Amino acid sequence: MGYYFQGFLHTIIVTFIAVGIGLVLGFTVAIIKISAGNYKFMKIPAIICNIYTTVFRGTPVALQLFIMVFAVFAIPGFKPAAAIITFGINSGAYVSENIRAGITSVDKGQMEAGRAMGLNWLQTMIRIILPQAVKNIIPAIGNEMIALLKETSIISMVGSTVGTLTFDLNFASRTAYKTVTNYLATGIIAAVFYLSVVYLMVFIVKIIERKLGTDDKRKEYI
Amino acid sequence: MINAKNIYKNFGKNEVIKNASIDIEKGERVVIIGPSGGGKSTFLRCLNLLEEVTRGEVWLDGKLISKPDPYLHDEVLKYSDAYLRKTKRGEKDEDKILSEIKENRELKKREGIRFNKELKKISANYGQDINVARRKMGMVFQQFNLFNNMTVMQNLVYVPVKLKILSKAEAEKKATELLGRINLSDKKDAYPASLSGGQKQRVAIIRSLMMNPEVMLFDEPTSALDPEMVGEVLSLIKELADEGMTMVIVTHEMGFAREVATRVLFIDGGAIAEDDSPEEIFTNPKNARLKEFLSKVL
Repeated sequence: MGYYFQGFLHTIIVTFIAVGIGLVLGFTVAIIKISAGNYKFMKIPAIICNIYTTVFRGTPVALQLFIMVFAVFAIPGFKPAAAIITFGINSGAYVSENIRAGITSVDKGQMEAGRAMGLNWLQTMIRIILPQAVKNIIPAIGNEMIALLKETSIISMVGSTVGTLTFDLNFASRTAYKTVTNYLATGIIAAVFYLSVVYLMVFIVKIIERKLGTDDKRKEYI
Repeated sequence: MINAKNIYKNFGKNEVIKNASIDIEKGERVVIIGPSGGGKSTFLRCLNLLEEVTRGEVWLDGKLISKPDPYLHDEVLKYSDAYLRKTKRGEKDEDKILSEIKENRELKKREGIRFNKELKKISANYGQDINVARRKMGMVFQQFNLFNNMTVMQNLVYVPVKLKILSKAEAEKKATELLGRINLSDKKDAYPASLSGGQKQRVAIIRSLMMNPEVMLFDEPTSALDPEMVGEVLSLIKELADEGMTMVIVTHEMGFAREVATRVLFIDGGAIAEDDSPEEIFTNPKNARLKEFLSKVL
């Protein structure tokens, strides 16, 4: 069981750090892409961001993990960090599109009203648009977190070959079956761990959503 | 107060405004009428540059708020390649050269250093930051556009406090007064989603008033309202008119236009087809399209 708890802990650590990186990166990329419509000097950064999202959404994360761990960050002892960074960058690409969609779904009249009163683009974005966009973004981010949590299991692909990267649940269950003889039981135990974490995440996202619903009278019917 | 000089607005290849000019003086109440799709709203939105003008200039209180248009400045055109080429060839008549350049739009995409310097000089001498200029121009939208994430009170005080036009205490005092004036004091902590259309629009109007604007622009303020709510909004606008507020109003309410306007513009096909007093427009229209339009709406 010790393997499980270690794997459990590591899975959560990897997920949360990667989600953190993904959120920061995704938010920055989304803002850069959207601001390009208003500020001409953001055009080139926006093109770079487009290439980033295209590449990281367009290739399998397992492949990205292999390249990052064995080529780009092939530094001894750096493998866990390389894996976390890979998941963070990969998640950032998806999160940026979620955030961008959330922002563009806010009625454009809101931006016009802010600008017409003399606020600049950034002021209106931060104080008027983003608070409204958050409501659209949170469910998608929750989804992305859940997907990422489960995606971390592919660390075992590089972990098992390297042997130093023994920190995810999947690998724990594989290691565990050497001492436990029942394959089904180890699988089910791992599944219960994953499920409980996902359930907790869904619960937290629900609470956040409810908290953010104060300015929308429709919340009573949802 | 507002001077629009030869403005054009293109959306892609579609010319929505074609060479419209207007001078609006303080105290005037200009009502813009015309058929749908004729460019009324676009024209109004050009005045506070919510739509960037493709050609031409917009001035507010003697300050240039749009980008300078070189074709409107002879002193700049004199440094253009076309001008220099023509004078070198021995053409003497300055006025003729300049009018040729304007007529044939002979400026290149990139002109020389001197030309750009002169153009920059105009911005430096007369230019004003659009964000500063917009504080003097209140805008009321067809779709109200109250900030949905803020209560009514926050909608009213947020921008003037943020832009340091009023202190927080002053802003709240003023907001309370204005809310009392429109009989919505009890809604100050409500969110826009819980207000009726008429209430939203009246809050939107006093939100503009919070900035102490010199001129108010109304973009079809009653078009999105239920018929029974049109009256309350129009009467608030009329009150402001009686207080001497300078206004530009795009509307389909002809009775209201006639009552409140000191001047009526008829915009059709992106151009100002007629610009006259309300009496003349409504009783003695000259433009054929205007006659046809009035016969349909009156």
